[in-house]
Amino acid sequence: MFKSIVVMSTMLAATAAYAVDSPITGNVSSKCSIYTDVSGVYGNPSPDELSTLPADGGVMPIIRYDVSIADYYTAKIEWPNSFTTSPSLSDSLTWTGEVEVSSTSDVGMAGYEAAKVEYDNVTEYDLTVAGSTWFKVTSNVTYGVDKSFPGGEYKANVVAECVAN
Amino acid sequence: MKHIIIAVALLITTSATAHELTPTYPKLSQSFVNGVVVTKMKLWNRRQDVSYYEIDVYDEEWNNLPFASSSRIMRVDYLASKTFEIYIKKKDVKKVEYICTTSKQLKEDVKSTGVKSRICSRVK
Repeated sequence: MFKSIVVMSTMLAATAAYAVDSPITGNVSSKCSIYTDVSGVYGNPSPDELSTLPADGGVMPIIRYDVSIADYYTAKIEWPNSFTTSPSLSDSLTWTGEVEVSSTSDVGMAGYEAAKVEYDNVTEYDLTVAGSTWFKVTSNVTYGVDKSFPGGEYKANVVAECVAN
Repeated sequence: MKHIIIAVALLITTSATAHELTPTYPKLSQSFVNGVVVTKMKLWNRRQDVSYYEIDVYDEEWNNLPFASSSRIMRVDYLASKTFEIYIKKKDVKKVEYICTTSKQLKEDVKSTGVKSRICSRVK
């Protein structure tokens, strides 16, 4: 009798046992990420000029946009048109700049550069393909007419926006 | 040559920093306060050079709209994410178009050319 009870309870206990899964779940939702891959540096090729061009001793800022789903976002990138930090300047500044696609993760993005829209200091790209796009920014500023920049620290901001369509 | 390219790519990717805001299309719903709607957003900071982000709400013409949140400028540490709620008056609901977060860099954190990132979700 006792033996039967032991066998039955063992069977009941065995049926109650089960395997435990540890699932890892994920969800790809639409989103835009802005990466600052390379921070820019101004070179000083001549006393009255600051430039991010490598030929002028500068480093071009490189910004990467990642979009997980196509056609959900527009990238807007502004090259600088004022200093955020500088010594006191008494003469006028002439700002110029350019934003270009430097690299892409998908061949479908090949048309981005031709389709870009430029106004003022803003360049817009419609992010019509999912993946990563790298943009390089050129910034150039000259001071007065052949006037030397006063010594000190100069900083300016590139604005990188990602706006949902 | 192949190894050099991979090594350079690795070096470049390790220095990458990012700013993310979700959802892309937030939904406004009734809050616990009468006449006020609310939406929940999530910001993820992977920018080592940024610890503060500013929240803004705009209409279609990019005019600022009034809103309430726990703070207009919030601290989000590197590799941290923050969920925040935005409260908007019901009378402004039809005007709301964009909810944006903008990176705010401390003066000492900006190198020669800093990058100010702004991500805008759209209320449809």
